[in-house]
Amino acid sequence: MQKSVKLSLINSCTAVIISHSQELTSLDQAIGDGDHGLNMKRGCEAVLADAEALSDKSLPDMLKSIGTQLVMKVGGASGPLYGTLFMALAKEMDEMPTSESACAAFASAIEAVKARGKSETGQKTMLDVLVPVHAAWVAGGGKGLAMLAKAAADSTIAMKAIRGRASFLGDRSIGHMDPGARSSQLLIETITQVLGV
Amino acid sequence: MANVGIVIVSHSAKVAEGAADMVRQMVGDEVPLAWTGGNSEGGLGTDIAQIIDAIDLAWSDAGVAILVDLGGAETNSEMAIEMLDEARQKRVVICNAPIVEGAVIAATEASGGSPLDIVKQTAEELYP
Amino acid sequence: MTSLKASETIDHVVRGSALLTNAVGLHARPSVKLTQLAKSFGATILVSTQVSGPWIDAKSPVKIMRVKAPKGTTLYFEATGADARLAIKALLDLVNRNFDESEADSHG
Repeated sequence: MQKSVKLSLINSCTAVIISHSQELTSLDQAIGDGDHGLNMKRGCEAVLADAEALSDKSLPDMLKSIGTQLVMKVGGASGPLYGTLFMALAKEMDEMPTSESACAAFASAIEAVKARGKSETGQKTMLDVLVPVHAAWVAGGGKGLAMLAKAAADSTIAMKAIRGRASFLGDRSIGHMDPGARSSQLLIETITQVLGV
Repeated sequence: MANVGIVIVSHSAKVAEGAADMVRQMVGDEVPLAWTGGNSEGGLGTDIAQIIDAIDLAWSDAGVAILVDLGGAETNSEMAIEMLDEARQKRVVICNAPIVEGAVIAATEASGGSPLDIVKQTAEELYP
Repeated sequence: MTSLKASETIDHVVRGSALLTNAVGLHARPSVKLTQLAKSFGATILVSTQVSGPWIDAKSPVKIMRVKAPKGTTLYFEATGADARLAIKALLDLVNRNFDESEADSHG
């Protein structure tokens, strides 16, 4: 993958999270401990600061470094989850991925997140965005993924949390979008935009 | 061989330190021991880099047993283990036991020279 | 006299007993000391609060901690193995020394 594309991905993805960190905080205050926005912002600022060096690496190495940065800097529950997502993506990603090979890498990354968080779809987590997006990608290629991601994130509003801090709220978690689902949606939207899918 | 080392990981630095104090007072000094609690901002939570440091501090060739409190401590400890050298990864386990009593029991077992799997098993007797 | 002498029967089981006289009995720290001491011997060592059992492995910290025998309880020991006599003597001595606890230690 060209350096300019890698740089563009890093700049845009970190920017979208940083600019939405207030919203992510509000979502997390409703059903979590209120730190998702702050944590993700911190992690993205660290990645952004390193953008030059990261974009010089091979795509797999870049993804692995981003994963490690996120693990070390994001903290909370999302640090390990997003860190795992990127590190697992790195293991399977080709330097010049096709849609199919990237999709396959995404699949294995999702499995790694499931294992890390000990969770499944339907439990009001980022998986409720990642899994349907992956399924649509397999079925129909990269088109329409951004819209699907939005619909998937919206679908978490009605769900009851089974995992994480929100699960302690039980029924009171219903009626609020999951913050991890929202941040995943933002990233997917941005990535598909940058790659012109 | 040296005794198995014990690492205590709590969301609270006070809890982790207190548990370590109890272990020292009740079991003595023959067991390598380290603790960590709180996130990188000093609030409640756990921090992967700190967990890695604690594992290094308590390292023993006989391995390390980790005691955790709530979910995040366990998840972050799992991540910390995955970020160790491959050779060390196999010698670190997380115990499914209450954090304070588990640390005391694990340290007691470790002080007798028991191997890692027995230390883990003994601490886990607390949750039958 | 607060303890019976260690005695060995024909089946090579060494037995002995001692009375708990420390204020809080077999609480957490004495439990740890008892199991640590038991573990230092190769013999199989069992303990009970009754003369005929039920018997608990003296080397198991969790099981010993759960006994929670109060002051005034008699602990009965049985040991089998090459160092059984030494083990029983050491354990009886530990109980009779109040687990080396000072009065100030006997809290919780």
